[in-house]
Amino acid sequence: MNAKERMEAAINLKPVDKVPNAPFTEAPVCQYFGSTFKASLLEGPEMLKVHMKSLEEFKFDWVMLGMGFIGGIIPEALDCQVSYPEDVFPIIKKTSVFSMEDIKRIAGKNMFTKRMESFLEGIRLLKKELKDEVPIACEYISPFTIATRLRGTNEIMMDMYENPELVHALQDAIVPLDIALGKALIDAGVDYIFYGADMECPVLLSPKHYKEFVHEPTTKVCNELSRLGSKVLPHMCGDIVKTGIVDMLLEMDIHGIMPGNLTQEKVLDIRELKGKVKDQICIFDNINPNGPLLIGKPEEVAKETLIHLNRAKGMTGYIFSTAGTSSPSTPKENYLAMDREVVNFQWK
Amino acid sequence: MSVTDILEAVVVFNKVAVVENVKTAIDSGISIDDILNKGLIKAMDVVGEKFSSGEVFVPEMLMAAKAMQEGLEVLKPHLESDALMEKGTVIIGTVKGDLHDIGKNLVAMMVEGAGFNVIDLGVDVDTDKFVSEAQAQNADVVCLSALLTTTMPTMAKTVDALKESGLKAKTIIGGAPVTDAYAQQIGADGFSDNAPGAVELIRKLVAA
Repeated sequence: MNAKERMEAAINLKPVDKVPNAPFTEAPVCQYFGSTFKASLLEGPEMLKVHMKSLEEFKFDWVMLGMGFIGGIIPEALDCQVSYPEDVFPIIKKTSVFSMEDIKRIAGKNMFTKRMESFLEGIRLLKKELKDEVPIACEYISPFTIATRLRGTNEIMMDMYENPELVHALQDAIVPLDIALGKALIDAGVDYIFYGADMECPVLLSPKHYKEFVHEPTTKVCNELSRLGSKVLPHMCGDIVKTGIVDMLLEMDIHGIMPGNLTQEKVLDIRELKGKVKDQICIFDNINPNGPLLIGKPEEVAKETLIHLNRAKGMTGYIFSTAGTSSPSTPKENYLAMDREVVNFQWK
Repeated sequence: MSVTDILEAVVVFNKVAVVENVKTAIDSGISIDDILNKGLIKAMDVVGEKFSSGEVFVPEMLMAAKAMQEGLEVLKPHLESDALMEKGTVIIGTVKGDLHDIGKNLVAMMVEGAGFNVIDLGVDVDTDKFVSEAQAQNADVVCLSALLTTTMPTMAKTVDALKESGLKAKTIIGGAPVTDAYAQQIGADGFSDNAPGAVELIRKLVAA
């Protein structure tokens, strides 16, 4: 199987020849291969160079992009003031929504800025080079999380009590923009929309608020992107099983789910999640990118990786990953240790 | 009217009731100290416990903190000038390159709610700014926050700079990607993965 066939098999809950290996490597690979986060985000040829070198050495089963896209390019296209440091994610210097009038302005925006086009061009270059043998995944965000970028997280959180009409109106304005942008990603060559539900996870929002504010606009976007041909893969931190959030996610046309395991102490039981989703969608298991992978030794990384793999051994629809993107200072030898364990693991 | 009424109004973030109850409590001669510590501050402890147990979430914490602040505004003219500083001074901010402030804001509100003097430096704060403010304010604790994995190295640099400065301030770190092991590795004095835990940690460090 090549990488695309392996990933597709896992997503479709079919047998695989080995564990699909799909970590979030965007920030560290820029460091490993002589580039910067900014350059590989905003310059198409640089994006191509970095990710091709990464594939050559690590042989991951996907190319994962988009942290700077969701953190900078999208908010900037919707009138936020954004700066682009060399080695960290873009920074929103000023939000853009302060009133209902601002929402009307946002609703009419042409999002295809010069930076947006450069990012899409990078994806097109990658697609051409990869020849559909390695899938491209791109980070994406929900209308609610975009709303927090445009208005400010605290403001949106308090708006849910003090100005709920604004929260609904802002997301209503964002939904068609979110769909148009998702379509542009798919047209450029993105196979998998990795749908980050960053600000509506049950670590931050109650299931009641999720249902009241988030579920409907998110469903509209996920279902449409799925209809347009992408695999839609939501990522959400927190206990999505006990809070019942997973039941709402399963109402959408999604193809997989990636819970966020930020600490070893709070790992979501992958078998409990599997029991819930059964053979409806695939699961991206994940090791903590800020644990041994960041600060441990290679042998500790190998041990943690094996814990995850052994727990899932033989499971259908299983893909190995990291919970969110890794720090640029993640030691390369640790990544190589993780990679070795996944590649050599006797899955059957 | 009792301080319990104030506490309960904060917990359900009824701002109008908080303000009215604080005014009534002052007029009826309840001690200012009790209104502050057993009413407003205790209320935020209760909210913190509810957050830790999953009974309330971030929007409810923010709303409760806002209600508490409104009560505090009514109380302030009656407080001794140093009443909110006697527990200690805490400096807080997100490290350079990180603008994600929800965790930082929650901690700032909870720590202020616990009676500390909080100097919030905001987001994207230079290492030099943390050091100079800690010195200028004679801070007891400096809290560094990061959400992004990419800004964690800056956290380490800031902890180093604060230690090298020779200031008395203890340094604690927090944020979604941060772990206790990482705190130990970079030489921070403490770590918390939630706002109520940060309050407890600061209380311990200041008392030590």
